[in-house]
Amino acid sequence: MSDQLSRFPYPFNSDTYRYSNNSVLLDPPIAIEVTPEYLEEMTLKRSLLANHPNRCYQSLPHTIPAQWEIASLVLHHLHETYPEDFSLTKEGNSWTFSNHKLNETQQFVFGDVSTLPWEPLDFVGRHVQEDLILMGQRDGDLFLDAGQLCFPANWSLEFNLGMNFVEIHSPIPGFANGNLDEKIRNFIMKLEVGQPWVRRNWSLNAGKRLDASLETFHQWGQMRKQVTAENAGETVYLRVEVQKLFRLPRSHAVLFTIHSYLITLHELAQNRAYLEQLYHVLVELPAFIAEYKGMKLYKQQVIQYLEYELQKERG
Amino acid sequence: MQPKIHVFVKQIIQETPSVKRFVLVSKEGADLPAFSAGSHVTTFLNTAAGTLERHYSLVQAPAITDHYEIAVQLHAQSQGGSAYWHHQVSEGTELFISYPKNHFSLSFRAKHHVFYAAGIGITPFLSMMAELVAQGRSFELHYAAKSREMCAFYETLQKTYRDSCHLYLSADPDSSRMRPDGMRQQRIGTHVYFCGPETMVNQFQEAARSYGYPQQSIHFELFAPPAPMLREPFLVELWQSKRTISVGSDQSLLAALLAAGIKSPYSCRVGRCGTCAVEVLSGEVAHYDSVLSEKERAAQDVMMTCVSRAVHNKLVLSL
Ligand code: HEM
Ligand code: FES
Repeated sequence: MSDQLSRFPYPFNSDTYRYSNNSVLLDPPIAIEVTPEYLEEMTLKRSLLANHPNRCYQSLPHTIPAQWEIASLVLHHLHETYPEDFSLTKEGNSWTFSNHKLNETQQFVFGDVSTLPWEPLDFVGRHVQEDLILMGQRDGDLFLDAGQLCFPANWSLEFNLGMNFVEIHSPIPGFANGNLDEKIRNFIMKLEVGQPWVRRNWSLNAGKRLDASLETFHQWGQMRKQVTAENAGETVYLRVEVQKLFRLPRSHAVLFTIHSYLITLHELAQNRAYLEQLYHVLVELPAFIAEYKGMKLYKQQVIQYLEYELQKERG
Repeated sequence: MQPKIHVFVKQIIQETPSVKRFVLVSKEGADLPAFSAGSHVTTFLNTAAGTLERHYSLVQAPAITDHYEIAVQLHAQSQGGSAYWHHQVSEGTELFISYPKNHFSLSFRAKHHVFYAAGIGITPFLSMMAELVAQGRSFELHYAAKSREMCAFYETLQKTYRDSCHLYLSADPDSSRMRPDGMRQQRIGTHVYFCGPETMVNQFQEAARSYGYPQQSIHFELFAPPAPMLREPFLVELWQSKRTISVGSDQSLLAALLAAGIKSPYSCRVGRCGTCAVEVLSGEVAHYDSVLSEKERAAQDVMMTCVSRAVHNKLVLSL
């Protein structure tokens, strides 16, 4: 197995897929993963932030204390998990963070926004591959209060800012059946400090594109028309978002992190079990889910490609 | 299963003849996790009868993290928790506690907060009031105790919250009684919070509702020690599959279903995600999940197979 394939967060544990709360406890309880794609993805992230600041960063004014909590969590996880690459030293409230991968050092006074070039969430997001979303928990509901989002899977931070959990998820067909949306919201509202959760969301992408923002759909959406059974192995990617949920102890808000991974179907097909299972999932997938995930135009081509690969291996 | 923090008792303060305050410090010497106003911790006490889990509110201001403080009232009919804290624990005693949890948080949109505490029910309001003072928001406290001697945190309340604090001493003939009708005069946008014995909480809740308070403006906290878990083997009849399978004493129902080849969706296996829910057609369920509401539990028509079990020897599921 290639290194990329063995590291890939494969999303399925069954031959059929339906919407459900597929969360499990996160072990080890670390928010951040640094992968070999770090430098490439940070370059892309920084340029998106520079060119489209409003698309990539939004916050409501009352979120600064919770943002500091996120900053502290992310910097500690970076330093404790990857001590060679990231260091954090503290003298009282005076903190120094060094990113040795990017050769950057930032000194600041913890709790004083005027000592940072950006808001705390916007600052730490510039050092990790993850997108970082802050969900405020107030009066029995969860609201999207702030976020740094560079690699969305077809949604808009600017549009969703201030919405509650159920409103955010309202475009998903069938998600409210059996009150699944409210059940998942209630599950998140019971998150506990020290017990973070993780889930894997998946879709297919036509073309290699981490920043599949709603605002640029006209650019990347065209790729869907160019997929054929012959080129699907190279042009179609399985996109998996590893999403983690952390309770922030002081503000009682929730940190939602999204780390997006892409792998070509050709690469994925090197693992026979993955190939077979993806094939079964796609063949069985109800049309409304396939359509919502944006694969209607090329799902048949992908299935043909997978069939061909399966036969080839059977010899 | 849940992660725990190793602490020791740094100091014990006798607040009243029946209430002791305990100062807990991390064994590793590190700061303890920050917490939000209204939070509690679970303490794990190793007694001869096994581990006792008890929940206690953190009573200091949330900004303080170099120690935690809890206050424990000695109950006459103690099932062991408060008696253990009062008679077995001394300065230096080591124990494990949970991370702070909050099931009783302050409303964000409230214009004014009114707290009603009876006896040791004062404890969650101490961190809440400290938070509201820090944020410059408006509140008042109504607090009933037997007498001045039995009134825990009397000094602190007098010193810090004199103008927002109303005391009612039930053994003092000159003192008035704490009554719900004060809630009538509150302005629109007021949220009310109750903590104390179940009868008091129920009485104040009903009154608040009858005065027209919306349900979202009524907050309360009742601490009940968790019921000990049943571990007996039992049978489940699967109605659609027309099969009966048995669940062993150290096996979950979910594990038994999967072992029998029943395709049963699941995710977390710890009773929290809700994915393993199945419909119950008959039999009484002992619920151990944290997904279902009190009402859903009582309805006895759905259960989480990864943790919940049969009270008696058999359940019928729609599977
Ligand atoms: C609390 C933080 C969360 C945020 C901010 C969030 C946000 C979003 C957004 C923006 C979308 C796209 C909706 C659109 O089409 O406009 C989405 C989709 C979705 N979310 Fe969430 N979500 C969160 C947590 C969760 C959790 C815990 C689950 C658990 C099951 C979940 C399940 C889903 C599903 C199933 C979809 C559809 C994805 C697909 O079919 O590709 N979300 N979410
Ligand atoms: S599997 Fe998550 S509640 Fe049972």
